[in-house]
Amino acid sequence: MLLPFVIITDLRKMELAIELILFGILMGLIFAFISLGLALIFGVMNIVNFAHGEFLMVGMYVGLLTSTYLRLDPFLSLPIAAAMGFLLGIASYRLLIKDILRGPMVAQLFGTFGLMLFLRYLAMFIFGPDIRTVSSGILVGKSVSLGWVALDLSKVVAAGLCLGLFVVVYWIINRTKLGRALRATSLDAEAARYMGIDTEKMNALAWGIGGATVGIAGGLLAHFYYITPTVGMVFILIAFATVALGGFGSISGTFIAGLIIGLIQVIGGQYLSELKFTFIYLTYFLTVVFRPRGLFGW
Amino acid sequence: MGRILGDIFSFGDRPVSERIGFIVFILIILAFPWTVKLAYARAVMIKFLLFALFGLGWNLIGGYGGQVDLGQAKNVGFGAYATALMMFHWKIPFWLTVVPGMIFATAESFAVAYPMFRLRGHYFAIATLCVALVWKELFVFWDWTGGARGVEIPIKSTPNFAYMQFGAVGYHYFIFGLFMAQFLFMNWFRKSKLGYELQAVRDNEDAAASLGINVTATKVKTYCITAALGALGGSFITVYYLYIDPDLVMPLDLSILIAMTVMVGGAGSIWGPIIGAAILIPLDMYLGAWLAGGGRYGIDFMIYALIIMIIAAREPKGIWGIVERIKKSR
Repeated sequence: MLLPFVIITDLRKMELAIELILFGILMGLIFAFISLGLALIFGVMNIVNFAHGEFLMVGMYVGLLTSTYLRLDPFLSLPIAAAMGFLLGIASYRLLIKDILRGPMVAQLFGTFGLMLFLRYLAMFIFGPDIRTVSSGILVGKSVSLGWVALDLSKVVAAGLCLGLFVVVYWIINRTKLGRALRATSLDAEAARYMGIDTEKMNALAWGIGGATVGIAGGLLAHFYYITPTVGMVFILIAFATVALGGFGSISGTFIAGLIIGLIQVIGGQYLSELKFTFIYLTYFLTVVFRPRGLFGW
Repeated sequence: MGRILGDIFSFGDRPVSERIGFIVFILIILAFPWTVKLAYARAVMIKFLLFALFGLGWNLIGGYGGQVDLGQAKNVGFGAYATALMMFHWKIPFWLTVVPGMIFATAESFAVAYPMFRLRGHYFAIATLCVALVWKELFVFWDWTGGARGVEIPIKSTPNFAYMQFGAVGYHYFIFGLFMAQFLFMNWFRKSKLGYELQAVRDNEDAAASLGINVTATKVKTYCITAALGALGGSFITVYYLYIDPDLVMPLDLSILIAMTVMVGGAGSIWGPIIGAAILIPLDMYLGAWLAGGGRYGIDFMIYALIIMIIAAREPKGIWGIVERIKKSR
């Protein structure tokens, strides 16, 4: 008598499991993409950028503003978001990071921390504390259905773009002359200078590329996530956990770790939604304590 | 015993100008409620003393220890919640709730300290931040602690010393007493064996270890003392505001502000936290209130951020570092 019920509930469970895994992978790709710039900057110059989440926030506001004031589709704002992120990265390096790199560890920490606060409260000053969303655009509010699972179209596109851009960044770092110069700078800046590499330029470029990738991520995130000046805090901690799990500075590690964190967050959030970030913080904590190199670090 | 008392009250190693300056500072604070009647100015003064107290505590691990702890708000929260919950659920007088809060904060810090101090630099800072945020989420989640709604302390109709409810002047002297007690403790600590060991660990861990100092034990002890001092300030917050919730006593911004007052004033110096709080707190309360009145938020934090960036880039020793350099150059 009970057998059909068991099968039905099992099917439901299966469906739910597949749905959760799909959502987790989508979120994971997005997390990985958000974390990419952080990993890149850490890899090249061994400094953790606390303002990374605020770079993301800037990208989100670019998406919001181009769609509200320029009446452009937010999807078309991605190049603008990338350019803004690039300039922001370069400007941060030239105006602040260059100076704090000479100081002690504490100064480095507080320097990027100050940058984080500055950008966040600048946004608060300009836009106020209100929560906003992007309401129109070719991707907003649409979904694709795979059988019984309906996936947000903007998330699917974001995940797809993330995959593509990961490949591009991986290719730049590992296959081009520029990437070789960046890697040389990260291994031994002094020796790189002797080889005629302009390490100052490489550092600035790492910040530029890091800023550009997270700017694009922000532009994509604006499609389906609420936008406030303080939104960076949520994602900076996810990015820290991702980069730590992947191994600070490892690009492919960041990718895998992003997927794992995405699954942890989605599956944890399904059962204990109030504590979904706690799982991520604990992941960071357990990773750095028990395996400080991360999964793929060196 | 006599030696300990001597170390507590002696400022013999500081120049005469600093000793006179500190006496003037004490006299100003003592005379303050008699000369200033404005309620807002009194509130600013109490908040300044509170953050000077927090800064003195954080200066232990952050200044003398050189470990950037971005989770002090969790300890403030433990103190505040211990007092609030014991008063609210069981009607226990204030004075009996302070020590349990400090003990809880110490025990929690001891429990997480050993794994935590396997980490250094950025890894440590982010880990402290994560632990503090986990606790905040748990307090939001948990019904017994009032969840996100927080805890309201029943108000007594008459001034009451068991529950520490009285007017602004009373709170002024109360927080000043706590501040002085902690200041004198710090004055002893910086000259104690642990204090010297800690500074040796900060300056060079390997050299300290080769001299037979147990590096991890030194850090752990300091971390626990810092936690207890944070909880003390938290207990004061409960009786001062008579209302607490996780966003008031455990937010990340509080951890940041505590660390920043010390960094701005001068980490690792006994005057640094007081100078930092004297600059940042009035800036926050006057500028913030004035601009928020015009519908503009955040400019106070932007100024904080600029100050902290300039200090990080130009003068990592803070304002006290500038003062000392000027003195040396003369």
